[in-house]
Amino acid sequence: MEQLLSLWQGSGLYNMGLGQLTMIFICLLLLYLAIVKNFEPLLLVPIGFGGLLANIPEAGLALSAAEQAIHFAKPEVLAAIAQAIDVNTTDPEALKHLVHEQGPSAYAAAQAVAQDAGYTNGMLYSFYSVAIGSTIAPLLIFMGVGAMTDFGPLLANPKTLFLGAAAQFGIFATVLGAVGMSALGIMDFSVEQAAAIGIIGGADGPTSIYVASLLAPELLGAIAVASYSYMALVPLIQPPIMRALTTPEERKIQMVQLRTVSKAEKVIFPISLLILVALLLPDAAPLLGMFCFGNLMKESGVVDRLSDTAQNALINIVTIFLGLSVGSKLVADKFLALETLGIMALGIVAFGIGTASGVLMAKIMNKVTKTPVNPLIGSAGVSAVPMAARVSNKLGLEYNPHNFLLMHAMGPNVAGVIGSAVAAGVMIKYLGG
Amino acid sequence: MHSSELISEGINLMLFGMGFVFVFLTLLVAVTSFMSATVNKLVKPAPEATNKPAPVSAPAAGNDELIAVMTAAVHKYRSGK
Repeated sequence: MEQLLSLWQGSGLYNMGLGQLTMIFICLLLLYLAIVKNFEPLLLVPIGFGGLLANIPEAGLALSAAEQAIHFAKPEVLAAIAQAIDVNTTDPEALKHLVHEQGPSAYAAAQAVAQDAGYTNGMLYSFYSVAIGSTIAPLLIFMGVGAMTDFGPLLANPKTLFLGAAAQFGIFATVLGAVGMSALGIMDFSVEQAAAIGIIGGADGPTSIYVASLLAPELLGAIAVASYSYMALVPLIQPPIMRALTTPEERKIQMVQLRTVSKAEKVIFPISLLILVALLLPDAAPLLGMFCFGNLMKESGVVDRLSDTAQNALINIVTIFLGLSVGSKLVADKFLALETLGIMALGIVAFGIGTASGVLMAKIMNKVTKTPVNPLIGSAGVSAVPMAARVSNKLGLEYNPHNFLLMHAMGPNVAGVIGSAVAAGVMIKYLGG
Repeated sequence: MHSSELISEGINLMLFGMGFVFVFLTLLVAVTSFMSATVNKLVKPAPEATNKPAPVSAPAAGNDELIAVMTAAVHKYRSGK
């Protein structure tokens, strides 16, 4: 009878908290959106499943050794941890927070004590520290994106870089919105957290994860989920904004055929971009460095094997680990907060403002320059490659069946990737250094 | 007091960030245009140089035949007139 009781008390059902149950439903919703509605399935399937694993009661897959030790609350272990991090309390709830607040060396000491006592890091915790904690996964994805990117349309019409710059206004406007909400007392975001939330407006998953992991790791789960779900929603969010800001005549504008770009230009471009980054903004060097490296592998044409691995096998492997690691952050005490709703709301505003400022910039360019610019391509300045460019193309075809804007929109689209990486570098420089 | 600091920090970040993004991408436009112009100037002679030997060497083989055909054609054209 006693054994039966202990089996029951060790079961998931007995230990299931309301928070965990809610999170499991949220993860099932993510899986539903991914599998049935086809929302960024490549990321939301691993993220949703990682979230399910992270919320299995008592398994502690997303917890570090120290957090597990505190969770199981053996008095002698708690006392040893409290001594290691130099605090006076042995209350498990208090320790849970204190263990993260005493700095990295105290945390390492607590980890050592817990491991001495026989606790180990959870599987997802290990994935997270290897893939995201080290910033490796988002950077490798950026390399793969670089190896998939064709800078041809951008090189043929470099002025479209301005559209990529304008669309980054969404990022900074959202930062202002987030600190505004904190100032009004609705939310409680620090400037670092506000910056990490703003990056959602860059519509660039790996960049958002990279910035969040450096500036606000505690919000990473919500930011990654918001960022990837809104990327899937680009075809719904953008068209109404694009229609509202343009006249039918503007939408019909045909653009001049792009010139052909020589191979030498394509090979030299990533190198010159890297030199510019090195000279002006070393903080963006990890992101843009990997991006340029991937692109150089593709364009040089002499390392097809490496470029093929970077854009297929490697990016797939990294995506699996990245997704599961993000899932490990979908635990109740971090995700079920008012902040998450704030992040979701601010994220969509960031997207909208980015789209709008891109379109407005394209309208200005159309007025100022001699060559016609269809304002619809401005919205592609928020990265979301190639979805945003496809939206521009589709909308253009609706109003003029002979107007193929896809190639013209790819220019601002890849410019948006560079722009959001630069914006990320500026934020890391301004807030992290 | 604290909240106004937060706001001013946010505004600073926005001005600084947006300014920097524009400066960076403007420079990139300049660098890219310059690079394209230089490359196209330098690289263009190269394909011409490789192209030239090709047309020269190709007819060299069937040169006599070609001249025969051409003279025949010219003859026919003139006589037809």
